[in-house]
Amino acid sequence: MTPTRETTDRAPAGVVIEDLHKAYGDNEVLKGIDMTVEPGEVVCLIGASGSGKSTLLRCVNRLEDPNRGTITVGTHEATHADVDLDAMRREIGMVFQQFNLFPHLSVLDNCTITPRRVLRQSRSAAEQEAMTQLRRVGLEELAQRRPDQLSGGQQQRVAIARALTMRPKLMLFDEPTSALDPETVGDVLAIMRDLAGGGMTMIVVTHEMGFAREVADRVVFLDRGRVMEEGPAAQVIADPQQPRTRDFLRRVLNPTQVDLED
Amino acid sequence: MALTTRDRARLSLGIQAGVFAVVVIALIVVIDWEAIRLSFFDVAAVAPMFPEILTVGLVNTLSYTAVGFALGLAGGMVLALMKLSSFPVYRWLATVYIEFFRGIPAILVFLALGFGVAIAFGWNLTSLQIAGSALGLVASAYIAETLRAGLQAVPKGQMEAARALGMPAWRAMVTIQIPQALRIVMPPLTNEAILLTKDSSLIFVVGLTAGAGELTKFGRDGINMYQAGLTPLVAAGACYLIITVPLSLLARRMERRTPAKK
Ligand SMILES: Nc1ncnc2c1ncn2[C@@H]1O[C@H](COP(=O)(O)OP(=O)(O)OP(=O)(O)O)[C@@H](O)[C@H]1O
Ligand SMILES: [Mg+2]
Repeated sequence: MTPTRETTDRAPAGVVIEDLHKAYGDNEVLKGIDMTVEPGEVVCLIGASGSGKSTLLRCVNRLEDPNRGTITVGTHEATHADVDLDAMRREIGMVFQQFNLFPHLSVLDNCTITPRRVLRQSRSAAEQEAMTQLRRVGLEELAQRRPDQLSGGQQQRVAIARALTMRPKLMLFDEPTSALDPETVGDVLAIMRDLAGGGMTMIVVTHEMGFAREVADRVVFLDRGRVMEEGPAAQVIADPQQPRTRDFLRRVLNPTQVDLED
Repeated sequence: MALTTRDRARLSLGIQAGVFAVVVIALIVVIDWEAIRLSFFDVAAVAPMFPEILTVGLVNTLSYTAVGFALGLAGGMVLALMKLSSFPVYRWLATVYIEFFRGIPAILVFLALGFGVAIAFGWNLTSLQIAGSALGLVASAYIAETLRAGLQAVPKGQMEAARALGMPAWRAMVTIQIPQALRIVMPPLTNEAILLTKDSSLIFVVGLTAGAGELTKFGRDGINMYQAGLTPLVAAGACYLIITVPLSLLARRMERRTPAKK
């Protein structure tokens, strides 16, 4: 019997964030965030260091507990007391700045451990799906390697493949290319561009303005815990309305401009 | 006359070698080697100790140690998880246990199990049961601290990545954090095994039934049985080294191979 290969991803989920507050002790990091991401939309989150981008992203899959406000991801009320967090997280892929691959497992096992142990997939089904995703990120021939035998860019691509094996409806990226050597950044961004083209809902924290301009539907500029400005990517980047946005973009764009446009 | 650093290093090495040669020659001349041989290395006189010192003594030492270590690993893991628990009562209980068993001499635990249990409950424990559980009780306390340090040394991103994939907390613990922690603490755990091997000799305080004698018992009995001076103790000591030196080499090798953490 030849197993059929599932190639279509699941219907993407939208995200609705209302009046989100988060503080660490006296340090108010998020001061009332309202934000909507439509299913299939790609939103880039930009802002200065410490403005709360990571915290906002981590509230969406509840790695952080917000103090106030509501978040809805698809059909899951993330901030509801009765939410099944594990079930919700299985539908949300997250990619970290430091990759966070499991160093004691091979590339293949990194991609199959959760489908097998949590979704109870058979080894062969999980491995087949993992190989499909590894092929998608161009690393199928490295499946038997250990993460520490891979370059940073390769590790990040494995991290993306690992998240995709769970067939997420939403992908969160927290500065996925910030820890990478410049020459490997392009490979990771290319995969993210493909993913966006395939209709995945994505929230991407990034300083790659070229990527944001080309791939994002919308850009949200976060300033000291508040949404200072948001709008279509091209408009916010080319013609920001707020002085603080303008300042930030000038600082990001001038010293190390990375332009993806041909 | 000025000496270069290199000259000085060579001179220092020369002096050390000279002193060593003088001491060795003096020892060869002064010492009565025949007396030494007869009281420590009278191999012929203790030949009857073999093969029982290996087939019985070494085997018993190994099995007391193995049972103690296995119990210590299990108990230590439970205590380490209790120490890291968010429930304060668990933390206190673990702390009390660890401080108690690290603070008292192991010989008291052997006495308590060897005599106390028999008096209190009327149970007649075998030597293996007494030694195994006494070593297990003591080792749990030491191993708990080692494992706690190992669990804490696993980067936080590992648990976060596992939870973000949708693994329940216990599953992430078992498949991601504990295996990595064990890898990190392999060298200190091996050292615990060495200490335990030697502590297994404490079983002598409760007396040993026939066939239950371990290495130290063989050594002591040998002194009375053979006119070979302290040679039986040397034989027993050599047998301990057969166990502990390989463990020590193993620990050192693992220490060298421990990869730099990211
Ligand atoms: N676990 C934590 N405990 C205490 N304070 C925290 C914690 N995580 C973040 N913060 C604080 O919250 C603020 C926002 O942090 P956050 O990581 O969200 O910023 P960011 O916009 O992602 O910055 P960067 O671009 O540097 O990643 C910072 O002042 C930070 O010090
Ligand atoms: Mg951040």
